[in-house]
Amino acid sequence: MSPTVRSAKPPFGAHAGSSRPPFRDDPRLILVGIALLLAALAAMVVLAERSAELSPDFLSGAVLYALTAADLTMLVALAFVLARNVVKLLVERRRALPFARFRAKLVAAMLGLTLIPAVLVLIVGSELIRNSADRWFNAPVDDVLTSANAVASGYYHDRQLTVSEHAGRIAGSLAAVDLAASDVGPVRDLISTEVTEGRVELVQVYRVVAESDDGRLDVVPVVDVATSSLPQADAPVSADRLASRVLAGSAESWTVEPLAAGGDLVRAAALVTGPDGGVPLGVVVVSSHLTGDVADHSRRITQAYEAYSQLRVLQRPLQGVYLSFFLMVTLLILVSATWMGVYIAKRIMRPVHLLSDGARALEAGQLDHRIEPETADEFGSLVEAFNSMAGGLAVSQRKLERSQADLRRKNVEVEGRRRYIETILERIATGVVSIDADGTVGTVNRAASRLLGLSEAAVGRPASEVFDRIDLRPMGALLKSLPAAHDPSAREVALERDGKAIYLAVAATTLQRAGAGEGGGGAVMVFDDVTPLIRAQRVATWRDVARRLAHEIRNPLTPIQLCAERLRRHFSTAPPQARALVEECSGTIVGEVESLKALVDEFSQFARMPAPRTVPVDLHALLDDALHLYDGLFDDVTIDRAFAPQVPAVRADPEQLRRVVINLVDNAIEVLRGAATGGAANNGDGGLVAVGTAHSTADGVVRITVADNGPGIPPGDRDKLFMPYYSTKQRGSGLGLAIVRRIIVEHGGNIEVSDNGDRGSTFTVELPCSA
Amino acid sequence: MLLRGAAGRGVSWRGVLTNLGRGVGVTLCALLVLVPALVAADLVRVRPLHRDGQIFVSFELTDAFSEEMRAAIRSGLPTTFSYDVELRRAIRFWFDSTVASTTVAASVQYDNLTRRYHLSRTQDGRVDTSEVVDNEETARDTMTTFDRLPLFSATPLEANSEYYLHVDVRTRPHNGWFAWPWSRATASGSAKFTFIP
Repeated sequence: MSPTVRSAKPPFGAHAGSSRPPFRDDPRLILVGIALLLAALAAMVVLAERSAELSPDFLSGAVLYALTAADLTMLVALAFVLARNVVKLLVERRRALPFARFRAKLVAAMLGLTLIPAVLVLIVGSELIRNSADRWFNAPVDDVLTSANAVASGYYHDRQLTVSEHAGRIAGSLAAVDLAASDVGPVRDLISTEVTEGRVELVQVYRVVAESDDGRLDVVPVVDVATSSLPQADAPVSADRLASRVLAGSAESWTVEPLAAGGDLVRAAALVTGPDGGVPLGVVVVSSHLTGDVADHSRRITQAYEAYSQLRVLQRPLQGVYLSFFLMVTLLILVSATWMGVYIAKRIMRPVHLLSDGARALEAGQLDHRIEPETADEFGSLVEAFNSMAGGLAVSQRKLERSQADLRRKNVEVEGRRRYIETILERIATGVVSIDADGTVGTVNRAASRLLGLSEAAVGRPASEVFDRIDLRPMGALLKSLPAAHDPSAREVALERDGKAIYLAVAATTLQRAGAGEGGGGAVMVFDDVTPLIRAQRVATWRDVARRLAHEIRNPLTPIQLCAERLRRHFSTAPPQARALVEECSGTIVGEVESLKALVDEFSQFARMPAPRTVPVDLHALLDDALHLYDGLFDDVTIDRAFAPQVPAVRADPEQLRRVVINLVDNAIEVLRGAATGGAANNGDGGLVAVGTAHSTADGVVRITVADNGPGIPPGDRDKLFMPYYSTKQRGSGLGLAIVRRIIVEHGGNIEVSDNGDRGSTFTVELPCSA
Repeated sequence: MLLRGAAGRGVSWRGVLTNLGRGVGVTLCALLVLVPALVAADLVRVRPLHRDGQIFVSFELTDAFSEEMRAAIRSGLPTTFSYDVELRRAIRFWFDSTVASTTVAASVQYDNLTRRYHLSRTQDGRVDTSEVVDNEETARDTMTTFDRLPLFSATPLEANSEYYLHVDVRTRPHNGWFAWPWSRATASGSAKFTFIP
């Protein structure tokens, strides 16, 4: 039994030699893929929710770029998946692979089912985003925020102008004061008025000094006056930087600095120049404090305005971000649907394809082909059913093969038996003729062919036609008279062949075959040549008759003869006339009695023929010895010898065989002489008796032929020649040839008579070889 | 199925789809090539100057302060003009070789409360200057006009050879519906010169 073939070969695109299963067959990878997809969707949801917290610049830049790149990637992926499927479909259709159309239809169905709603969602969502964005930036909000920002910035601007004006005025008044003097009292007095009168909150005065190493100018603080309400902070540091920038000629002469304690400090610096107006002597920095509430409100107004303005400026990229979200979700759905369609198609087609391959394998005779069940669902049940069916087919196939083997073996046996029977039929002496169901001759064995004179051409011909021949009509009548049942019908049939009667013991029976009707199976005739048996029976009968006849006749003959002789002696003294009459009558009685005695002797000899005492006999010597008796006896008859060169010895009783030869030669000579006496013409050639021998190796017999050129024997008399009391001679007892046949038969041979060409007769004696 | 054209010539669906796909492909390729080129129109004037072993580069971005850009700046968004300056040498029948490159950026952020522009310039990420101005014109000049920046050394240049300066400008923030990931330059300009030591 061949090992079971398990087929788990993936139909498409799988690597048979790889130990790793393909992606679609690895549940972990599938789960990871689904998890990644869900994570991507969740990340997008989270990102969309927190998009308001992200800066518009970040959204319109990095996020938009990332989403655009992701959208393009998804688009390329979708195009790739679709193109791949289209190409595979075309290739598979060209290669006539199964299920290509089914997969294409399934993918198209999945894509079509998701494409329309996804695109509708995309369109509706994009329209909603655009309309919502338009509503965000409507005119009232814009006016309010712009005006509020103008108010806040205007307030700061006014304060900056005021502080700058104070700084310039104080710087002008300080031009007449020596800032380098050690006594800073005049300077303090001058600036304290500005502070105490509440016009500014802080005034800081710097003196310009030259750096010792490179001559660069710098400022050093001289004095500062501040109100007590001003929060203490790092204001001096920023004031120092402002003073330095103003001294350096920067256009940035004022600043707004937030204070840690709250509020802003609006600062303005002015350069203190000398009387000539060219040499900088110092810098005055004037600061005005904006309280925390004002500053906070102003900043919040500005921040709101800026946020609003930024949103308006980035309106299109922000819309693009949200549209990209929708587009990405749409593409994700489409790619997922496409991939899912391909995946489902493969999952469906894989077992179907395996089943298809399995069916083809079964069709190709691979009944041990099995499919490895991969799932426990209906497909798994289908695969199990297929395997069960394949197993059943394999078992049936094996049974069938065993049956075929048995059938072949039986066929061989039947064939051998048929040849054996055919050989037997060909070799046996029993004739067998079979008639097929259609009435034609099916079989004619050699013996039948010989006995019935049928050639091989009779096979296949209708039996009614074959047995319609005149000499075979008794056989045909027997066939026609066969009963429908297959009981054998036995009969003795006498046929005339070549002028001779042959007797056949015929047994005919109808054949019964499966499926054939009553008597529709044909028939068979078996027959044996019982002619020798019939003849032997007749001879035996005649022998018995002869014996009885000899016994019954012999007994009264002697008294008759004695009485006749007694009468002749008694009437020896009688008158001459009476004596002559008695002499004549008694002589006649005695003569006839002698004849009857001779006849009785022959009958007795025929009945009491002794069993032959066979010895190896040189046939030619025996023939020469027998024929030597005729040398010089007949002038008008020639005895010719035609002996075969090599004739084996035969086992025979020499005396009986010599008697046979003499009897046959006597008969021939007598026929020739009788014919000459009767005036029958011998064509002027004289009588000729040809005695010949022949050896038939095939039949294992030695033939002795005695032929004459006499008038011949009519065919109707030939069979009667060998019967007792049948004679064509006027003086014959009719027992010569009967004795000859009996001798030959008791030697295991046969004697036949036939025409000698166109003139005369030939007696052929067949004796078995002694070897 | 065949479509019968006006001239009676048979046109198969496959042929139509093939031509359609081919047209779409050609259009996409053209867009991929032309869109960045159209966007990066030649709006930068570049002037090279060789002195004291240095290649001084002056360039000016024209028409950069559109109403949209001014609105973006006025909204308080940090706005940056990045100039990718490359010194290249043209090679016939091959890609041009870049001798040296640097990135100069100018950023501005407008303070709506104080109505002032905070400006800064950097070169390769290093801050060169920083200032606060009240005037928009000054801010615009700071953002778009660069005069004689000593960007490259003349040492690797070969005498009497043809070179050119190429400037690509990128602006941030982005202001379009669609962010083309491969389109970096919004404006560009070039200027050829023969290096004579």
